[in-house]
Amino acid sequence: MRLPSGVYHETYAQDHAWWQTRFVWIRMVLLGLILFLVIPYFATSSGQLYYLTLANTVGYTILGAMGVQLLIGYTGQVTLGHAAFIAVGGYTSSIAMLQWGIPYPITIVIAALVSGIWSVLFGLPSARVKGFYLIMTTMAAQFVTVDFIITQYVSQIGGRGHYFSLPPGTITFGPIEIANDDLKLYYLMLALVIACTVLVANLLRTRIGRAWIAIRDNDIAAEVLGVNVVRYKLLAFFVAGVLAGIAGAYWVSTLSAISPEHFPFTWSLWLVGVILIGGTGSMYGTVFGSLFMTLVPEILKSIIFTLTPYHPIFSQLIDKFLYVREAAFGLIIVLFLLYEPKGLAYRWAQIKNYVHLWPFSY
Amino acid sequence: MEKRRAFLFVGVLLVALTLAACAAPAAAPAPAAPKAEIVIGSLNDLTGPTSDVGKDYALGIQEAVRWVNEQGGVNGKQIRLILSDYGYKVPEYLTTYKRYRDLDKVIAVLGWGTGESAAIQPTVTADKMPFVTASYSAELADASKTPYNYYAAGDYSTNARAAITVWYEEIWMKDPRLEADRKAGKPRFVAFYAKATPYASAPIKAIKEQAALLGFEVGPDQDVPLTAIDTKSQVLAAKEFKPHLVWHGDTTNAVATALKDAKALGLGADHIVNNWGFDENLAKLAGDAAEGVIGIGVTAFFGDTSVKGMDNVIASAAKHNPNVPKESRLIRTVQGWANTLLLVEGLRRADKAGKLTGEGIKAELDALKDFDVGLGVPPLTFGPTDHRGTSTVRLYQIKGGKIGLLKAVDMRAKYPDLWPKWIGY
Repeated sequence: MRLPSGVYHETYAQDHAWWQTRFVWIRMVLLGLILFLVIPYFATSSGQLYYLTLANTVGYTILGAMGVQLLIGYTGQVTLGHAAFIAVGGYTSSIAMLQWGIPYPITIVIAALVSGIWSVLFGLPSARVKGFYLIMTTMAAQFVTVDFIITQYVSQIGGRGHYFSLPPGTITFGPIEIANDDLKLYYLMLALVIACTVLVANLLRTRIGRAWIAIRDNDIAAEVLGVNVVRYKLLAFFVAGVLAGIAGAYWVSTLSAISPEHFPFTWSLWLVGVILIGGTGSMYGTVFGSLFMTLVPEILKSIIFTLTPYHPIFSQLIDKFLYVREAAFGLIIVLFLLYEPKGLAYRWAQIKNYVHLWPFSY
Repeated sequence: MEKRRAFLFVGVLLVALTLAACAAPAAAPAPAAPKAEIVIGSLNDLTGPTSDVGKDYALGIQEAVRWVNEQGGVNGKQIRLILSDYGYKVPEYLTTYKRYRDLDKVIAVLGWGTGESAAIQPTVTADKMPFVTASYSAELADASKTPYNYYAAGDYSTNARAAITVWYEEIWMKDPRLEADRKAGKPRFVAFYAKATPYASAPIKAIKEQAALLGFEVGPDQDVPLTAIDTKSQVLAAKEFKPHLVWHGDTTNAVATALKDAKALGLGADHIVNNWGFDENLAKLAGDAAEGVIGIGVTAFFGDTSVKGMDNVIASAAKHNPNVPKESRLIRTVQGWANTLLLVEGLRRADKAGKLTGEGIKAELDALKDFDVGLGVPPLTFGPTDHRGTSTVRLYQIKGGKIGLLKAVDMRAKYPDLWPKWIGY
């Protein structure tokens, strides 16, 4: 850790602190103020809850992508079936509430555990296979879980028909009903994202995290060094599953409904796209990627909607512009892979370095 | 050098994004909308798994709105339509709906799929937002639960009940080729549909109930995803049951695949198809396999000039989308028109009454009695508790590659005691 001159560490606690300088403290407090007060105030006072919905979608994407980041970015286990574990979380939470009347906060914990165990089950092949073959087994998780088990069997529980709808009064935190209230969902999202980020970031700098990174960089070398590769790989799958379970339980509250359609294979791919654009092997990457992948399509939509009334040609072209939006989004991803293969997190680090060394950078 | 280029790239990207971000909030006050303008939003699938029918539906909406504007709009007020593709992605459906509500200040929304439209209903009800869906799910017609949802068509469940009833009465009881089977025992029935898709599974409970009522033996459901390109295993599984009748609950592409596989593997059953799976493309895609297939048409098919208003549909299509050949236009265009015209009627009456608000539009739509939207849609009647606009179902059959009317049946007249109980599923 690079420190400004004149700042010395006198204790181990200081050395291990997350925020080591006053500048970082101020920055984080400002960020906290923006997240907890400014954004909600802005959105509710102007009556534009749309921005909170957007923030909630970003948060849901972060929660989902964090597990993918852990597996791909930190442990090197490529997964293309993460939506399945989110689905397990969502269904566990819904069924626990609907069938057994368990309070929502407890179902989040149950969802996390069930999803974690389910993830370990599909992580088992990672003991034997690597790379492309592991991609196949994680894809199997997607199809076996969502298209087979959930669609054919779990969806039939309780005879509710084609999708589970959670009636008002089901999703509550104590006496407070949170479903269909964007502001409360926003605070729930913040709490979950912050808790998960703190959990994962701390886990990554313990023995466990270092073992994961060692496995990612060279699993044989890691084994030689005494890392129990299978155990740590499975642990990574478990933690990734727990995060997915939390994401799934959160998703249930945003919509008050759940259906197997909400967890398609494309969502698994999307989450991998999130960490590729954000940057693999970085917690910042998860956040930047989620912001980017959620906000850019919305911003492009805004541009199109804004331009439409000003010139007749736009209203005539509006149906064509919809495709332009998709095309522009695809182009941005391609540009990223070409010019920014290390993701937004790397660029963020470069910008920080640049500012740090200014005006005497090399 | 490379570093500089990378910085340049990031710089350009940042500037672009900042500009875009500035443009976003500006959208709220900016649209230099003259006062006499009504904004409506539309959520469509142009790129997702239901885009096989969604693209043509969206064209229909656009052309209908332009036509209404050319005719002088809603009592002189022009309609501004904001149409957006959500690619059948549920999170985007939600965010776009809220964008329409908060930033674009729309007065009503035209929606699409069953699952997402049903899931968004509590929000729609709280927002008092008239919501006209392309999902004709019976669940959305129970106005005691979804008071702001409407559509200009019969609901899926009534349609499915009618289809199986008409097959039973017209084919099973009459067709000489089935005589031996008829004497041997009960007719056997199997449903092919995407279990994970709420649209496809919406009428299943209803059609099985009707099958039981008519004395069918019901076989195991076969799961056919909307994006299926091979259904041989489903057809073979169904074949063991030797069905006389198969219900297809998907959209056109998947239905065509299943029909072709059924013919190739000699399933030997008759087919009835839900409305989003039955259109001009089905005959083209499935060829011979579509021969004799019976399907539901909630409006007249594109180009059927025997019905009121179809000349406007054809003229608008030619005027606004001359690059789309007439031959490739579908009934979906007409369905888009019917839903748009229903909403416009609500807007017109609410505007006349001086209450152009969500509640005002709802009140006017609920008061509609035998309203003729034209285009082959049966007269529509809504009420404060029942949004099943019509009980008349038109069944069509493909003969020689052409779609022709087989029979129209009024399910309320046929089952007057059961009709009130059928609401909501």
